[in-house]
Amino acid sequence: MHALVTQIHPLVQIRRNRSLPVPGTVLVRVGQKVIPTEILAETNVPSQHYLVDVFRSLGMKNTTEAEKLVNRKIGDQLDKQDIIAETGGFFSRVIRAPMPGKIVAIKNGQVLLETDSHKITVQSGLTGSVVEVIKDRGAVVETNGMLIQGVWGNERIGFGPFLVDADAIEKELTPASLSITLRGAVIAAAFCTQEESLITAGSLPVGGLILGSMNPELISCAMKQNFPIVLLEGFGQNGINDLAKNLLLSNSKREISIHAAKWDRFTGNRPEVVVSLPAEGESYREVAEFASGQAVRVHANPYSGRVGWIQNIISGLASLPNGLRTTAAAIKFQNNESAIIPLINLDIIDIENRFLGKTE
Amino acid sequence: MTTLITEANSILGIEIGSIHTRAILFDVVEESYHFIASGSAGSTYGDPFFDIGEGAFEAIARLQEITGRILLNHDGNLILPSQAGAEGVDRLIITVSCGADLNLVTFGLLNDVSLETANRLAKTSFTNVIESFGINDRRPIHVQMDALLAARPDILVVAGGTDRGATRSVARMVSMIATVLQIIPKEERPTVLYCGNQAMVKRVKELLDKITEIKVTNNIRPTIDSEDLEKATVDFGKLMMDHRMQNVGGLDRISPLCSDQPVLSSVGFQRVVQFLGKQYDPAKGVLGLDLGSAHTIAAYANNKENSINVFPSGMGVGLEYVLQRTQIEEIEKWLPELIPHEEILAYLWQKTLFPATIPATCSSLAIELAVARHILRMTMRELSLRGAFVSRTFEPIIVSGSVLTHTATPQQVLLTLLDGIQPLGITPLVLDKHGIIPLLGAAAKINPLLPVQVLESTAFVNLATSVTAESNARYGNTIMQARLVYTSGNYIDAEVKQGSLVVLPLKSGETGQLILKTVRRTRIEDVEMTSEPIKIKGGVCGVVIDARGRPLELPAEDARRRELLKRWAFMLGG
Repeated sequence: MHALVTQIHPLVQIRRNRSLPVPGTVLVRVGQKVIPTEILAETNVPSQHYLVDVFRSLGMKNTTEAEKLVNRKIGDQLDKQDIIAETGGFFSRVIRAPMPGKIVAIKNGQVLLETDSHKITVQSGLTGSVVEVIKDRGAVVETNGMLIQGVWGNERIGFGPFLVDADAIEKELTPASLSITLRGAVIAAAFCTQEESLITAGSLPVGGLILGSMNPELISCAMKQNFPIVLLEGFGQNGINDLAKNLLLSNSKREISIHAAKWDRFTGNRPEVVVSLPAEGESYREVAEFASGQAVRVHANPYSGRVGWIQNIISGLASLPNGLRTTAAAIKFQNNESAIIPLINLDIIDIENRFLGKTE
Repeated sequence: MTTLITEANSILGIEIGSIHTRAILFDVVEESYHFIASGSAGSTYGDPFFDIGEGAFEAIARLQEITGRILLNHDGNLILPSQAGAEGVDRLIITVSCGADLNLVTFGLLNDVSLETANRLAKTSFTNVIESFGINDRRPIHVQMDALLAARPDILVVAGGTDRGATRSVARMVSMIATVLQIIPKEERPTVLYCGNQAMVKRVKELLDKITEIKVTNNIRPTIDSEDLEKATVDFGKLMMDHRMQNVGGLDRISPLCSDQPVLSSVGFQRVVQFLGKQYDPAKGVLGLDLGSAHTIAAYANNKENSINVFPSGMGVGLEYVLQRTQIEEIEKWLPELIPHEEILAYLWQKTLFPATIPATCSSLAIELAVARHILRMTMRELSLRGAFVSRTFEPIIVSGSVLTHTATPQQVLLTLLDGIQPLGITPLVLDKHGIIPLLGAAAKINPLLPVQVLESTAFVNLATSVTAESNARYGNTIMQARLVYTSGNYIDAEVKQGSLVVLPLKSGETGQLILKTVRRTRIEDVEMTSEPIKIKGGVCGVVIDARGRPLELPAEDARRRELLKRWAFMLGG
């Protein structure tokens, strides 16, 4: 059975495609160093238009005749009051632009003006180098370093020095745990249950927030924050799993970037935390088959957020306490506790294969 | 029923869902088609494969293991057609429900006429209606244009004008669409499905043909007071499938092997319900409900009408839609044990992140069954509002979805259905345990015998026949005496009290005569209360008389409510 591999990796090569949804201008070149908030490509998306009806305004007999009176062409930039069409003659009747804009269409005796647009951009999301330019869309950014994939993000990107200690990462994020010394820093906590904590973090503001989990009632508040929030385990009150926690603590004070994307299984875009390191990493496996000795993480109750090792895959179907029968594995956790967990409730964790074969 | 079958004996069906890919084998056993077995694997249309091939291969390999029949050759390719009848299969069919919902914008003239029908058409498939425009839209034209551009639709559904009706308004509307489409980059322009005044087809094509792809179907509102969605639903389904063909990786590679073009699961599901609607009691109609991960599909049909509605509510990805529209108390009220709100919410939101999760504890199973009840209630309420069925008595109700077919006992499933659907009258409840209905619908086109014979086989589980007795009597008072007479002549009597659930054992495949003597003006919807016995079918849970009232009301007090839920479960025997 294939399973997705969640990366909790101390050193790996990371390549990410970052593209605009529509064609635009690429602002970087191959070899360029970029930071997480660096804009790789941008474009203007028309957001407001104005329709000037020459045919009706001038009372023409047909639309073709009306279009002949338009003395502009598609692409012309107009200022307010510029003439768009005129009948000619001594008592010429004119149609003027009601506002500045660009002509984007002339059809059916009507002129369509683009009067406003908004810019959309695509950011790097990590510190690294541009290794490929995607024509008119964006770029591929590469780095080597620590990678921890999360499960939920508030659709923000950020970075900063990672300030955390072994005590804070084990505890709930509370307003009292947030001090002015954390301004601009990326911080981590076990979980968050109060809106006030997120609001306080936003008022500092912090550079980013890594949580094990969060009360789902805070989703709308989290979405309003301007700093990135990433959940590594999901919703509830589960702390960060031991492997991720140890890895994060070992990267304390380094610059950490957070790409708090919402997990999209259609595109593969996943929230992640990266620390770029001056070392060469290898590429990682995105998918693997369950096997004895693998490190796995449970993502459903009653062991949600805990990391353990597959002792053996149970042959046939295993019975669960609620009477369901399903394919499952015997898992041994770090505290030597064992449990039968449905395979479908497990993520494989790939850490340089260093845990393969390890059972305790 | 036996039929001589001369060709295409074995059929492999592959259902590609958003969570699972299932390979299902149908073959001829003793001269009629039977469901043989199914193999399942995770779907691989998304990250990291982006190709359905891997999931399909794994599912077939699993099926091969289960059946012992060689389906794949040494290169891992499907053996098609079969060799000497012992290896491979004769035909391949595919149904698809995976992939992101498509963004739609609908156009019509009058809001409560063609626009409403266009929106109804949109809801027959896996779509999000982002914007709707009618001629009474009060927004200035340029604001409407901006809204259309901002919607970034995949498909425009353009209705309006009865046949021989309005032409100028339709032309104006289509002109506006043409103007807007011109400024969208060519490769991103939506396909237009025109389903308005047929007299305008030529003009509409003239306006749009050079700008974007245009498909034409019947007028969905041929007269002001009639709606005709039948052909448009089929054509819309094909259009949706075309999009899937382009966007679901690997589908274009596998589909040439199929005996017929792959179809959307919702289309296959509707075909079967439509077929059954013609076989059963025309006064009642057949209701099919598929409670999937991302969507809930509801199909209804009798001998004259049929409809399909696809809702974005589901037990996995579709939970986000449900949770955003639900007070947690609406789910909590179905829990027979105290589980804190935070825990319920955390479990359900976590399931939106990991939609394939299996409930591993009693409390997580209880939460799943509670939310299943809530989704079924939401669905029935919405179907009722949309006037999707003629009467609220059905024969039968067929249900599918992994929460119902794989994660509970038959009694748990039955109680979930009775609480969620709250059927009236006498209703057989059937479980599509293997989730084969969409594939049967897809197979019908290439082999009409297959669905007929498989539907008559044991592939479906007759859960129970429910008899809903309604009365205004006080709780605990006797409202009916029931006698179930078996074909052997033996019988069983039961006294039915207001507020109770009574089970009369009658095995699946057996029939009996039910004699009901009602008191206190007890009524059963669409049943004339005479002393005549009623022929009734059995099921794994027997015949269940539901005297709990309609609509089902739960005590406001938490402890009493939980006690009552436990009692109901006990009354059903599990």
